[in-house]
Amino acid sequence: MTTEALLARDVRKTYSSRRAPSVEALAGVSLVVHPGERVALLGRNGAGKTTFLKIASTLLMPTGGTVEVFGHDAGTHPDEVRPMIAVVPQEGKPFFHLTPREQVFTYLRARGYDGAEAKSRTEDALGQMGLTEVANRLSITLSGGQRQRTMVATVIATEAPLLFLDEPTIGMDPFARRAVWESLRTLTRRGSTILLTTHYLDEAEALSQRLYIIERGRVLVDGTAATLKQELGGSLRVSIPNGERLSEVAKTFGSVLNDGEVLHVITTPERLPELMALATREHLTTTVGPVTLEEAFLRVVGRSIDREE
Amino acid sequence: MAVAARRLPFRGLYAFSMTELRVQLHESTAIVTSLILQVVLLLFVYILDRSLLPVALFGAILFSMFALGQRVQNEAAFVRIDHKLNELYLAGPLAPEAYFLGMSLGVLGGYLIPILVLVAATFYLVGISLTTALVLLAAAAGLWLFACSFGYFVSTLFRDMRTIWPYASIFYNLFGVLPPVFYPLSYWSGPLVPVALVVPPSAAAALVQWTIGWAMLSPWELALAAGSLALEGLGTFLFAIYWSRRTVREDA
Repeated sequence: MTTEALLARDVRKTYSSRRAPSVEALAGVSLVVHPGERVALLGRNGAGKTTFLKIASTLLMPTGGTVEVFGHDAGTHPDEVRPMIAVVPQEGKPFFHLTPREQVFTYLRARGYDGAEAKSRTEDALGQMGLTEVANRLSITLSGGQRQRTMVATVIATEAPLLFLDEPTIGMDPFARRAVWESLRTLTRRGSTILLTTHYLDEAEALSQRLYIIERGRVLVDGTAATLKQELGGSLRVSIPNGERLSEVAKTFGSVLNDGEVLHVITTPERLPELMALATREHLTTTVGPVTLEEAFLRVVGRSIDREE
Repeated sequence: MAVAARRLPFRGLYAFSMTELRVQLHESTAIVTSLILQVVLLLFVYILDRSLLPVALFGAILFSMFALGQRVQNEAAFVRIDHKLNELYLAGPLAPEAYFLGMSLGVLGGYLIPILVLVAATFYLVGISLTTALVLLAAAAGLWLFACSFGYFVSTLFRDMRTIWPYASIFYNLFGVLPPVFYPLSYWSGPLVPVALVVPPSAAAALVQWTIGWAMLSPWELALAAGSLALEGLGTFLFAIYWSRRTVREDA
């Protein structure tokens, strides 16, 4: 029996339908999440992140492979797994006719917390999510971001051993996103483990201790954001719109990534002036910034995270 | 400190019932307006033949219990399809059968208020004997068990709300209004009576009509109505428990 918080081996999932061709959502995903870790599944829409999360959280059966949660098989022993997990579903909404305070409190009660404990956790979670002022308003009157924060508050209040969060900060403003990140960091410090999916690169970078990049149902790479960026071979990104004609010569400056009509060159501070001069001679504009996870993603996947199939 | 919880049958039933009850009570307009159909039908009966009012009043109570199935169906579908809250609740220690039954009890709790208004009106206008009260209670319980179990089952078959609404409306009106629920069983021709006695709403109504002298039932017919209602209520309830466990996984 493993002691990993989550251990997935060659997980496959094919959606079959009589009316449409079968779709292979997962084509052999293997990954591990250690206890107390924050791990992100990063990928474009339709990459298979949500399917994986549903299988791991016992809401879907895999076509092949296994997922173990704290040593229990999520496929064959879901009843052992479910008490140890809590899930923020993608695009989930709180009950429209409950207030955030009622939503969090009643959910904790349904999980078995006594009234006093549930009340204390509710107030704490609402405070963390900045919902105290709207805690007594029906959710139907709240903004999309506030509803999403209510969902996150509902789940973080449980402090379940393993939390699954599917795009937890979608629709939130920057301040709320940072509040969620801080709460999740606090949770892992207190012993919980977190697996989240996101297609926000900054979120994956700021929040996860390790990340897996998933594309078309496969894990393409895993590591820390820092190591993935290091593998690009430079610390600066020079973006040149319509710079396609420079792609050959740009290779002498470092890694070259092509994102549609924008040429990205990963280079070093020492080579920067020379590259800028080259672009200027060609009457091309340039934007310079530090290398981010976006370039690492582009290198690994071959296309931007925002680009649809 | 991370906390793990154990899983038990019907675990979380009371808490989830209270959750759903709160949801329903916040929608007080829907609760109040649920009386409208019954009041309109009662008004028609009163205008056309006021001697039928006792039958129609008891029918309205039973129809209200039956219509709770439609409310459970819509609520369960909406919570699953639009809110995805089934994922929040079922990927956790809450037992799936507690989710189904808790939702049904919460809806019942919310709509008990207009139903009790109808009971009070019936008591005031036509009176309720002890025998009738006991039969009414048992018949209403069987009918509710059938309706909410069936409603929950149907809710799991649809993937969008727009599709579910017309089916819900057809089913509950077809079986709740068309058979002899608001009018006497004797209005149905002889060969159709056994059909009415196995359709849950009219079976329940026939039993109550028998206690107030509006339906002449042979012992065999009584047994058929009571037996089929009990079997259908209990059978669909047990099936719904099985189904709620099975459909935790969306590809089950």
